[in-house]
Amino acid sequence: MENNNTEKNQNFSDNSNKGITAQNKEPRIIAFVCNWCTYNGADLAGTSRMKYADNVRVIKLPCTGRIDPLFVVEAFKKGAKGVLVSGCHPGDCHYTSGNYHSRRKYTAFRDLLSYLGVDISRVEFSWISASEGNKWVSVINDFTNKIKSLPNNSDIFSKK
Amino acid sequence: MARIGVFVCWCGSNIAGTVDVKRVAEEAAKIPGVVEAIDYKYMCSDPGQNAFRNMIKDKNLTGVVLAACSPHMHENTFRKAAIKEGLNPYFVEIANIREQVSWVHEDKEKATEKAIDLLKMMVEKVKRNKPIEDVRVPLTKKALVIGGGISGIQAALDIANGGVEVILVEKEPSIGGKMIQLDETFPTLDCSSCIMTPKMVEAYQHPNIKLYTYSELEDVSGYIGNFNVKIRKKARSIVEKDCTGCGDCWNACPMHKNVKSEFNVNLSERTAIYVPFPQAVPLIPVIDRSVCLHYKKGGKCQKCYDACGPKCINFDLQDEIIEEKVGAIVAATGYDLMENSLYGEYGYGQFKDVVSGLQFERLLSASGPTEGVIKRPSDGKTPETIVFIQCVGSRDPEKGVPYCSKVCCMYTAKHAKLFAHKVHGSQSYVFYIDIRATSKGYEEFVRSTMENDGAIYLRGRVSKIYENGGKLIVKGADTLSGNQVEIAADMVVLATGVIPKKGSDKMAQMLGISYDKYGFYTESHPKLRPAESSTAGIYLAGMAQGPRDIPESVVSGSAAASKILGLFSKSEYEVEGTIASVNKTTCVGCFYCQRVCAYSAISKEEVKDRSGNVLKVVANVNSGLCTGCGACVNACFSKSIDVRGFMDEQIFAEIKSLAV
Amino acid sequence: MEKMNEKIQNIAKELLENKEVNLIIGFTKGSNPLRMRSVFITDPKDVSKLSFNSHCVQDLAVFLKKPEVKKFGKIGIVVKGCDEKAVNTLIQEYQLSRDNIKIIGLECHGVIKQNLADKGENSLNQSTVYDKCLACEVHTPTLYDYLVESDEQAFEINGNSIKPYAKIEELDLMSAEERNVFWQNEFEKCIKCYACRQVCPLCYCTRCIVEKNTPQWIETNIEETGNAQWNMIRAYHLSGRCIGCGECERACPVNIPLMLINEKMARDTFEKFGYKSGIDINAKPVFGTFDINDFNDFIK
Repeated sequence: MENNNTEKNQNFSDNSNKGITAQNKEPRIIAFVCNWCTYNGADLAGTSRMKYADNVRVIKLPCTGRIDPLFVVEAFKKGAKGVLVSGCHPGDCHYTSGNYHSRRKYTAFRDLLSYLGVDISRVEFSWISASEGNKWVSVINDFTNKIKSLPNNSDIFSKK
Repeated sequence: MARIGVFVCWCGSNIAGTVDVKRVAEEAAKIPGVVEAIDYKYMCSDPGQNAFRNMIKDKNLTGVVLAACSPHMHENTFRKAAIKEGLNPYFVEIANIREQVSWVHEDKEKATEKAIDLLKMMVEKVKRNKPIEDVRVPLTKKALVIGGGISGIQAALDIANGGVEVILVEKEPSIGGKMIQLDETFPTLDCSSCIMTPKMVEAYQHPNIKLYTYSELEDVSGYIGNFNVKIRKKARSIVEKDCTGCGDCWNACPMHKNVKSEFNVNLSERTAIYVPFPQAVPLIPVIDRSVCLHYKKGGKCQKCYDACGPKCINFDLQDEIIEEKVGAIVAATGYDLMENSLYGEYGYGQFKDVVSGLQFERLLSASGPTEGVIKRPSDGKTPETIVFIQCVGSRDPEKGVPYCSKVCCMYTAKHAKLFAHKVHGSQSYVFYIDIRATSKGYEEFVRSTMENDGAIYLRGRVSKIYENGGKLIVKGADTLSGNQVEIAADMVVLATGVIPKKGSDKMAQMLGISYDKYGFYTESHPKLRPAESSTAGIYLAGMAQGPRDIPESVVSGSAAASKILGLFSKSEYEVEGTIASVNKTTCVGCFYCQRVCAYSAISKEEVKDRSGNVLKVVANVNSGLCTGCGACVNACFSKSIDVRGFMDEQIFAEIKSLAV
Repeated sequence: MEKMNEKIQNIAKELLENKEVNLIIGFTKGSNPLRMRSVFITDPKDVSKLSFNSHCVQDLAVFLKKPEVKKFGKIGIVVKGCDEKAVNTLIQEYQLSRDNIKIIGLECHGVIKQNLADKGENSLNQSTVYDKCLACEVHTPTLYDYLVESDEQAFEINGNSIKPYAKIEELDLMSAEERNVFWQNEFEKCIKCYACRQVCPLCYCTRCIVEKNTPQWIETNIEETGNAQWNMIRAYHLSGRCIGCGECERACPVNIPLMLINEKMARDTFEKFGYKSGIDINAKPVFGTFDINDFNDFIK
């Protein structure tokens, strides 16, 4: 993981040398997470003193069922390069079915965004339980690397 | 006009070592609406909390943000402190700069930037908070205990003795669980059924306990204080009130050699109409319809009916669905043992004399198939050499489970000891990986098995078992001496690992509680709330949470009971006020919110004019049912429903504060 | 068409005379013979105004959401198959009571594109009708109280040469960047007149999300991001609900091909969840329910 990270960082600075100025800034990633599983998983990564990329800013909500897909667009509008939505695994939702409803909505929403010209790899969705601090770390690191590797996007929702 | 106070906690060096707390406080002071921002060494300390309260008072704050450890640690601490100063507790927000910043990042500059961002987010959020009043819901002061093993019985008895009615539901025809199958218990060697049977009878006879055996939970709805449960009382084919438990019926049953006894773990047979064991509670038989000739052969056989004096056998009885309303639930659904067949090299199922630990318990037990005389299953001879293998499935991430089953070290030592006591001059060998004997008297117990009872402990694994000349040849490694060993044994006992009860995941889903990847129910907090599930009003007990021994199971049963008695000691239950509310002016009544609500918390309400004409039908939130999950908010097209504490406006402000 | 008109008029007359309805919404001839318009009839004497032909492009179900119409209580409505799907969805979404509506369903072989009709086109064939008619699965409405069969023969569709909404497949094959350029050019034209919303039978919210300002979900000034957001959010809100009447696209003064989005979402919803809107008043709307085995591939 560590090595991978540095390698990607290297690529990224190569790009910026070619004069893509917007990429000089570290990309901002916003993670909308549920209070019960993923937020606790992220806390567990902390209590376990795991290290991960610092681009992410977590916004806590009660449940993935509360994470309105339109928040994703709002995050893009405010300059986020990547958005992560994360909650309890299927069957584990604290509210029994919020994650199922969310999964269905995001299925359609992703299709729509992609169809309208958004690079859908900028929106990540994951199930991370309270016991998966390690998964949180790898999802954040992988996603951060992916976002850094993306070309400077110009889709219609993003802040220019 | 917002007057926000900010505290940046050092948490000693936990935060301050990685985050420039001074700079965070300086930046916070620049945020519009922040009247004071200070850093402090330990906010959770008494002086820290005093500083917090003083600032609310002195600066007349409308909101406070703490940049500190996870809100899951101390949010409540500070919300309670805020109440004391007359500030609505929901005007306290926490920016998590320890678990999600200082502990996970190393670059001080970047960690500080992130901490500032998280703090800004929370300031913007707290500015938009609305005062939230907690909701009070009525309590049905009756409890449901699922599972009639030792932890369930203990919970039921403690609740019942506290003067509260209890419904105890057990899937099997008798209560008693796994403990009643055991012979003697470590480390005191008191007889399990001697201490268990009185508990079972006490539960059965307790005026506050209603016992449903041979019954399963069918459905659970509702919420803390107000659960509606449906119990399927499976048809025993016996009119229970008339049965005397005399045994004439099962003695008359012609199916006496065909069905393996579950209670004796397949070491003996039972009849089609049977009680699982002689001390069963209640002592009422059940007809196993899957094998009974009456059901299989079109009603021809009715020998049990003919033998029954009070004529209480009724072949036509049907399952009954019983509905109960309860205020709290204990999930004590117990455990199973892993399949020994996973370990082909040990020959379980292939060699009759390779048995599981639980089978060995039955062979030791005076009420078992051999009446307490250890006889090997193949030829009934008394074994002189037994090899015990520990960690069969436990601590084996490849084939079994990675966790330790906790009880196997101890019961294996007990087995070896009892074997030595019962068969003089016998020899036992124990293959182990580590010995875990950490409770009171446990280490001494294992020591005495080794030293007084001559059990030979070999640190290593068994690679193969095969039969030769009536003996089981056990080949294994003694890793301490570095030698390969070969033991000619009469019997082999496998200490099989503990796994959650089959179907525990389905049970958890029905109850709406969380469970881990193995299927063990997870605690609300692993250390501080070990008796509570993730769902309010549902408590946990026994092995359903994970491997534990009898005393721990009893403690957990009592803990669940005390939580419930505590809950019921108040007249009403207070629910967090972070629930949904509807803008009835803009609601257009499409009821997508109702469709996605998992708690049936949304109802239809008619909006009428002064003459009583219905103008429109809108959504209404039942505050007792709503849990504040917010699924309804996302379902609403016109954004006419919002959830307090996590309002759209607040989320937008948080996103905006992160604008780059 | 005369026989058909006569039948419609008789049904309407009977319904009004028997007080089964207080209002009939139907089509009538306008001053331009190739443009039909809506008519609202309360007096049985006026039923002779009712008429139908292949220029009846409008989805009359849109009026059912209007308070001025709702106040009539019991209403009869003349619908083509596509329009009936809107009525169906309104009932499913509690905006209309089945008891309060009499559905006069018409068998329809298609309607002629209005821009062609305005140039004098009067023949019904695969090149003159809307794409929705080529893709139509409800030439006969699914739910009705009265069915009026067509006097005319359906036209033949030459299956190979005609592909309704062919642009969707083209867009699917493009890169995200190319699609972005395509839609950027389209949304650039948007003047936020909200005609698409006004004409949509399923945009029945009395306070639209675009009018909510705390928080401001959609930027209301006419610029790129706000335009794109408006069109995206409308499509999102119609996902799994749009019944494909095409009125939004027809009403759009700047000709944004809105049906390419709605139809795409309808296709995806069917592909992923097997759901089609406007078919069953008792069905659970696709985004009001879930299945534990739903599509999960995109989730880590």
